[in-house]
Amino acid sequence: MQKPLRISHVGLRGVVGRGMTASHVLDFASAFGTFLGPGPVVIGRDPRASGIMIREGVASGLMATGHDVIDLGVVSTPVIQHAINRMDAAGGMSIGASHNSSSWNALKFLGPRGSYLSTGEAGELLDIYHLRNYSFSEWQGIGAYRTADDAIDRYLDDIAGAFELDSLRRYKVVVDCSNGTSSLILQRMNERFGFRFILINARTGGVEFAHEPNTSSRTVALQLAPLVQPLGADAGFLFDADSDRVAFATETGEAVTSERVLPLLTDYLLPRGAGKLVIANLSTTALLEEVAARHGGRVLRVPVGRQAAIDALSSYRPEQVAIAGEGTGAVMMPRFRFVYDGIASMLAVLSMMHEEGKTLSSIIAAYPKYSILKGEIPLVTQQLPALFTELQARYADGQMNVADGLRVDWPGKWFHVRVSQTEPIVRVICEQKGAPPTALFESLMELVRSYAA
Amino acid sequence: MPREHLLKIGVSGIRGVVGEFLTPLLARAFAQAFGTYVGGGRVVVGRDTRSSGPMLQRAVHCGLLASGCEVIDVGVLPTPTIQIYTGATRARGGLAITASHNPPEYNALKLFNGSGLFFNHYERSELLDIYHQSDFRQAYNDEILRLSTETEAPARMHLERVVKHVNVDRIRARKFRVGLDSVNGAGSVMSPGFLSETLGCELHAISIDPTKPFPRVAEPRPDTLGDLAELVRTKQCDIAFGQDPDGDRLAVVDEHGNVLDNDDVLALAVMIALERRPGNVVVNLTTSSVIDDVVTARGGKVYRTPVGEANVVDVMQAVNAVIGGEGSNGGIIFPAVHLCRDSYTGMAFLLDRMAETGLTMSQLAAQLPRYWRRLGKTGFEHGRLGPLMQALEDRFPGAKLDCSDGLKLLLEDSWVHVRSSNTEPILRIAAEAKSEAGVEKLYGDVLSLLSGR
Repeated sequence: MQKPLRISHVGLRGVVGRGMTASHVLDFASAFGTFLGPGPVVIGRDPRASGIMIREGVASGLMATGHDVIDLGVVSTPVIQHAINRMDAAGGMSIGASHNSSSWNALKFLGPRGSYLSTGEAGELLDIYHLRNYSFSEWQGIGAYRTADDAIDRYLDDIAGAFELDSLRRYKVVVDCSNGTSSLILQRMNERFGFRFILINARTGGVEFAHEPNTSSRTVALQLAPLVQPLGADAGFLFDADSDRVAFATETGEAVTSERVLPLLTDYLLPRGAGKLVIANLSTTALLEEVAARHGGRVLRVPVGRQAAIDALSSYRPEQVAIAGEGTGAVMMPRFRFVYDGIASMLAVLSMMHEEGKTLSSIIAAYPKYSILKGEIPLVTQQLPALFTELQARYADGQMNVADGLRVDWPGKWFHVRVSQTEPIVRVICEQKGAPPTALFESLMELVRSYAA
Repeated sequence: MPREHLLKIGVSGIRGVVGEFLTPLLARAFAQAFGTYVGGGRVVVGRDTRSSGPMLQRAVHCGLLASGCEVIDVGVLPTPTIQIYTGATRARGGLAITASHNPPEYNALKLFNGSGLFFNHYERSELLDIYHQSDFRQAYNDEILRLSTETEAPARMHLERVVKHVNVDRIRARKFRVGLDSVNGAGSVMSPGFLSETLGCELHAISIDPTKPFPRVAEPRPDTLGDLAELVRTKQCDIAFGQDPDGDRLAVVDEHGNVLDNDDVLALAVMIALERRPGNVVVNLTTSSVIDDVVTARGGKVYRTPVGEANVVDVMQAVNAVIGGEGSNGGIIFPAVHLCRDSYTGMAFLLDRMAETGLTMSQLAAQLPRYWRRLGKTGFEHGRLGPLMQALEDRFPGAKLDCSDGLKLLLEDSWVHVRSSNTEPILRIAAEAKSEAGVEKLYGDVLSLLSGR
């Protein structure tokens, strides 16, 4: 059972009314307003109904701490990040629970230039929150509120400078918007650039979503993949609610796992930029190492979660990094200031199709087959140290990484056992080049289960 | 020196200095308690022009939406207009964000029930219990309702009700030269149109910019309306009106530039109302005896209540009063428009009377019996109130006593009323007599007794 509220370094997330309340919203907005330097703060939200309630609280807390608030309305997180940078704002807040169901919502905190907060900064924000030590302005210093309705267009100006839109718009593409913010951006691309995006689940009413807005291959297979071939489309894409994650289906109707997004884009970007470093988490496919090696690149493995990727990024100069991302289809590219941006990822995939002159299915088919198995088992917190000790002893012949649970690599095969950050479970992931590593996976599951209740 | 705590949460609602004391956190919590108390449904929210208003209003929206209420934002409007709209549209309740006549660093929440009336004593204490227990309704995503704006209908509804009770044609025919000082408050958005367009007056207005701060002390009194009196003299106005920031209180200046005593303004309104329909009149204990003279002469009965609009309104409902009010506060309550203090009813009544009689404002005022009044205050120590009141009683052995709100001593041809303030640690003293020397002696005696000098 997922807990209905989670407060961590990446922000605040919960089931509205059951875990996340208006009280949390005011406190966090006041804490963030206290934490930020002077200047305006940019806000935006995904279409969930609770977003209006949260926006009012967020605006109030920021105004009370002396910040002017610029409300972009219903926009994706990448659009907010773009606007922060463009307007030279002090920071921003994104209201939206990305891949969670409609009953959830979340606050994400963004620093100057639209960057995610580092672990140190996020820790300071949490300290202010826990101390409730807010700096409220006196009556003359309270901030003003205004709306800006051109944020999507200004973001698309930037997109138009980064991709050859003229050669991409000939593709016929079906998109499942998961009732999220991608709907508004893609409709605008159709109007403004003459794209032929066919949008499904594009209503942005905010009370009910057509399906869980996540990017798992099961979700892609549900509605999107079966539509691609009958419509004669060249590809199908699916975004989560705040369009930072993306998954896709080929023109033949095959649902491609979101694991493939990062290797595909790595293959596309590595030869086209100066950066040679690929940052990915420990649970992401080993296809990445194989693809990177072809272009003289190197993969840096970091713990699971956005925060670890952000902290890793900050240790390198931007031009050293080619790409960063995770198996969920969330990918950051240097051209987009290292922001998880599903729209940019989709356009990069289309650019790859265009430049290589190939169909999506033939691009996918060219990669070697890797088989991944995933499982989860409820945990007994007290047993975890013993579990990891035994795992290390049993698999001492492989190459170990203990940055986040345990990952062990052998040539052509690896596993990762880790504790979830969001649910009280142990996750087991196991991958092998070629056939599924069934025997290894079963014995891992059995061992983990022996430490469960 | 003890730290000064500039916040009051009590049966009169929540009021304080914005910043360190009155925070958006408190406003959100109070609004959510209010939303829980009224049980969801539509709630009307408006405000005066204080700089903290937009920030606090958003916190209030957040709390109301989180409790499952639908919010109608009516923006900057006078308090009576918000009350009338709340009652007329059968909303579940209403909130005005205004600290009325307090200085600009203050703000407060005024709370109305579904009839657009101030919460009575019992409603307020029940609300306070919910607030203190933080026992709030927490709406889930699919229970969160809309936030919409309504800027035009409330003012129209209010003014349509007012003009039903006067002869607009005869007022328009006179083309009165009228001065106006709305203190850049909520009246700024409604009074100029009402006077010049609806009532056809030649308007000479100062301080009608709702985006600017209050240019004078917010309470409209003889000593704060110097600019308006000057305007009357230079523009040769027939009459001039001074409002407080939320447009419930009214002060009146005659054609010579003399600011009328607020008790006399109420007495004139009472006279006008009773001549159309005799009946009961309700005023607070501190209101002048001029009311008794005016009412008795017209065969009516006067009821006295403790100070506070809600107290007056409670009794007005109980005795089906024709009119009522609070003299020194400049509040006229005319139930045929609405059971609330309304400066617009006052303006219309006086202009109509001038048109009807052909008399000037000073001539109308001269029809009233003459009393001399003295208002003041003195500090007191907590715990000393009982002995002080006892000493006062002993000092005037022959007096008739009224203990319903502090102590009122009724003497031959004079009275004195001493009560502790609901909002500050002070004693308010009001004295009245038939001669100037009489009131000075009475006031002086009481002040020296209370202050121990």
